[in-house]
Amino acid sequence: MIALWMRGLVLRRTAGLAAIAVGVAIAVAVLASLGSFLSSAQSSMTARAAAGVAVDWQVQVAKGADPAAVQATTAAAADVTTALPVGFAQSSGLVATSGGTTQTTGPAVVLGIPDGYAAAFPGEIRLLAGSLNGVLIAQQTAANLHVLPGDSVTITLADGSPVAVTIVGVVDIPQANSLFQTVGAPAQSQPSAPPDNVLLLPQGNFAAVASGLGTIHPELLSTQIHVAHSHALAADPAVAFVDITSAAHNLEAALTGTGVVGDNLGAALDAARGDSSYATVLFLFLGLPGAVLAGILTFAIANSGAERRRREQALLRTRGASAQLIGRLVSVEALLVGVVGGVIGLAAAALIGIVTFGSVGFGASALSATLWPIGAVLVGLLIAVGAVVIPAVHDFRTLIVSEARTQLVAQKKPWWMRIWLDVLLLVLSGIVFLLTTQKGYSLVLAPEGVASIQVNYWAFFGPALFWVGGGMLVWRIYEAVLRRGRRGVAGLIRPITGKLSVAASGMMSRQRSVLASGGVMLALALVFAGSTSIFNATYQQQAEVDARLTNGADIAVTEPPGSGVLPTAAAAIAAVPGVRAVEPLQHRFAYVGSDLQDLFGVRASTITQATLLQDAYFQGGTAPQLMTTLGSQPDAILVSAETVSDFQLKVGDLINLRLQDASTNSLVTVPFHYVGVANEFPTAPKDSFFIANASYVAQMTGDNSVSSFLVDTGGQSTDSVATALRTTLGQGPTITAIGAARSAIGSSLTSVDLAGLTRVELGFALVIAAGAGGLLFVLGLAERRRTFAIATVLGANRRQLRGLVLAEAAIVAIGGTLFGAALGWLLSQMLVAVLSGVFDPPPAALALPWPYLIGAGVVAIGAIVAGAIWSARSAHRPAIETLREL
Amino acid sequence: MTLIQANGARSVASAELLVRCVDVTHSYGTGETAVVAVAGVTCDVAANARIALMGPSGSGKSTLLHVMAGLESATSGGVSWPSFGSSPAGKPGEVGVVFQGPSLIPSLDVVGNVGFPLLVQGVSDDEAEKRALDALDDLGLGWMSTKLPDELSGGQAQRVAVARVLAAAPRLIIADEPTGQLDHETGRHVLDVLFRAADRLSAALVVSTHDPEIAGRFPERWLMHDGALLPKEGLSS
Repeated sequence: MIALWMRGLVLRRTAGLAAIAVGVAIAVAVLASLGSFLSSAQSSMTARAAAGVAVDWQVQVAKGADPAAVQATTAAAADVTTALPVGFAQSSGLVATSGGTTQTTGPAVVLGIPDGYAAAFPGEIRLLAGSLNGVLIAQQTAANLHVLPGDSVTITLADGSPVAVTIVGVVDIPQANSLFQTVGAPAQSQPSAPPDNVLLLPQGNFAAVASGLGTIHPELLSTQIHVAHSHALAADPAVAFVDITSAAHNLEAALTGTGVVGDNLGAALDAARGDSSYATVLFLFLGLPGAVLAGILTFAIANSGAERRRREQALLRTRGASAQLIGRLVSVEALLVGVVGGVIGLAAAALIGIVTFGSVGFGASALSATLWPIGAVLVGLLIAVGAVVIPAVHDFRTLIVSEARTQLVAQKKPWWMRIWLDVLLLVLSGIVFLLTTQKGYSLVLAPEGVASIQVNYWAFFGPALFWVGGGMLVWRIYEAVLRRGRRGVAGLIRPITGKLSVAASGMMSRQRSVLASGGVMLALALVFAGSTSIFNATYQQQAEVDARLTNGADIAVTEPPGSGVLPTAAAAIAAVPGVRAVEPLQHRFAYVGSDLQDLFGVRASTITQATLLQDAYFQGGTAPQLMTTLGSQPDAILVSAETVSDFQLKVGDLINLRLQDASTNSLVTVPFHYVGVANEFPTAPKDSFFIANASYVAQMTGDNSVSSFLVDTGGQSTDSVATALRTTLGQGPTITAIGAARSAIGSSLTSVDLAGLTRVELGFALVIAAGAGGLLFVLGLAERRRTFAIATVLGANRRQLRGLVLAEAAIVAIGGTLFGAALGWLLSQMLVAVLSGVFDPPPAALALPWPYLIGAGVVAIGAIVAGAIWSARSAHRPAIETLREL
Repeated sequence: MTLIQANGARSVASAELLVRCVDVTHSYGTGETAVVAVAGVTCDVAANARIALMGPSGSGKSTLLHVMAGLESATSGGVSWPSFGSSPAGKPGEVGVVFQGPSLIPSLDVVGNVGFPLLVQGVSDDEAEKRALDALDDLGLGWMSTKLPDELSGGQAQRVAVARVLAAAPRLIIADEPTGQLDHETGRHVLDVLFRAADRLSAALVVSTHDPEIAGRFPERWLMHDGALLPKEGLSS
């Protein structure tokens, strides 16, 4: 019996079964594709986290232990590729004399670095001026002492004895937080900031310092072994973290108390592990609506054949079929579509994974690679059972045979509509949204200097509830309009249906649940497509903004410290083909009170020709307003919010900064007036800085030199223009194109390339939108062919029949598109607000990918129109044939 | 007046003619698998005629009625509608058809169903609704005007189908076994309504049935067998 029934189903209801299987396949493919994406995303997060660590392990040699033995043990550990000793010495201060004045710093840290250190750990030291072969001085220390390569600096030891050295290079230490950590101390005991004054000596010079210091104050001397570990790590950051932490513990055990491992790589992977968990939830959150929609689509497809199923069921019952038999028949049907859909879905996901993410597996670890596909297929089976078995069982329990044979079962309001669940969900969504956005997110800096994200997972509930509640509200509106607004609907469709508009609106009123489901599906599919694309476009936009902030412009030409390059040098840069605009930028250090902060001197009227200033960078006015204010008031200054808070500043307040005077090399007091807040600025650090007029700074300090030039190429050919600039300008300045910054910003989460996920999600969204509009419509109308047959024998002509179909298509298309656009826009606002922590800096406005949005709408409406036309044509079959079959 | 010829053909004077079939044959399918439903039928339907078309299931009654209504074409032979000029198919004002099975549009209520043919013809919404309600009232069905087809019994649905014909005021009413799926009592009611509608419109009424009791209420009875009209009923009154 079951085999016979199945054979009949496969032969006679092929299209209906295939449509349900396709719905299941889409749901399975969405979920499994997310697994593929996460697999590749996690892998890139691990690689990114590892690549960002300059020194993987810092092994602190215990007091009294032999550094050479510790180095040997460390070097012998598995997967250790390099192990070099670094000496640390505390000095009382540094002294330098230049231009007839003497500068003295507070306590300084002197490092002893072996030959080849800079090459072995390229991320630790960045040369700004001079050479790496000799004594190096940190940029800020050089500014404090007013020294340049070639100048002499005296190190004052604890007993007052001096050690003189000659500077050969000025360097930046990008990961100073990690370098100067207290190895083995808990996070709360770590120093709040790295030392202000740092000198790096070759081993020979350091030996002189160490010998002078070691006899009197050995406690001020220490040694670390800096380690480069193999970065051939497990793809899943959580697994890689466990591996690397175990290896660090293993080394500590091997060192038997002679050394403590500072596990920078482990810390980075720990942050990546947290980011990975967040990414899993985030991307599931972004992708899950696709699976839910595919499930709803499957339900709707199955429901479009509900009348036929009821009649078949009624026939079976009148022939004496038991509840168990009917249950078995529908269960086998569900199993068939579930398994077929699951297999197709997994195959599609595997193909998508290979093509889009370059990933064959469905997870980064063996466990997740197993769980993802199994979970996806189980969800597919659940959808199939929900779509096929549950309605059949429900009908069996609630309908008597005569009712089951009717064409149009009386429509009652769904239970959720009666209790206003949709409104309740929207209100809840608003409350959750307000509560969670007030707390917000922030990028926080771990003690080891690894950026990671703090997450409030509850925030996901706001958009989720909005999505569900919004969909239900659209259903309610459809229901109300089609039930009570028949005259209005008739007026709306009159251009299509002519004299039949009232009859057509009446038909639509009776078919309102089918039309509402089509409209809601279309709206939600467009919401999914719209919100995903807007989120992703905004994500890309902000990544670009971040890159632009970091690099300053398309290309940054950074002059070496003390080079004295004047603004007129911009002409040589502007002459290079491809350069559209050049803007000189001063960079100085200024004291406010005892704090040393960066000060940028700009040409307020022209700076936006070479770089982008967003309103979100500033407070107290828009970017153009504040640049106008700055330009019109020579002593105006923009200050960080932190400084405003520290010094209780109000707009118009006087701020006296101490800047270095070019002629005397001494600090002079320069008065400024506070006009606004700058949170971000191209090339500026993320903490505190000032923005002032370059001409005023030059006038007051006698120094018109430029630190860097911001170069705009219109975003075109930045790499080739950068190469041309290198050829033109020679070896002096450092030239960086924005591409380099794109790959070196933010947390490991932002290293995830969303392009693949975007393509996949948008592809699914289009398929679902088209399916919602077209397939559902076609299947629904196929069930109603009878109506058209009767209408034909009653005299309706082809044009009138086509009008009836197109009117329904119009109601689904217009309502679905309008509601989809409105809900999509609101949900995008919500998503971006809720996930603002992912964006750095927060977006000033949403990025709207218009071509895609318009394309999605066109595809969805096109699918509906195609479905309607197909349906109208199907009605052209000789009516009498159709009626004879009834 | 209908004249039955020796070969079973029936004819009337052309001035009163609504339908004339001359040696009409209708086949389903082609070649060896072709099934001949109507074989060489010649007959006329006059205005005001009351004809019962009798015959067993599969004898070709429905096909002949569909050919008369213009819903199906003759495979051979000729069909003409002298009073209408051309095929009345899709012209509810000329021919109204009541089908054996459910023929109401499920998504329209009763008044909507009854008024639908009028709307198709371009009658205004208000006028169509008025005429539909009038037709329902005429047949004593006004009380069910807001009901949906699925809320009606089989007999009620058939009476609504008759009201739909009445509202369109055709000159020829064709009913294909309108009582076939109904019990006797209900069938009798439906037939009453049909006669009342035909009388009110002064329309011809052709009803197919295999029920002799129903056929007995018609002054003229045609017998059909294996697609052909038989002469054995003799001259009608």
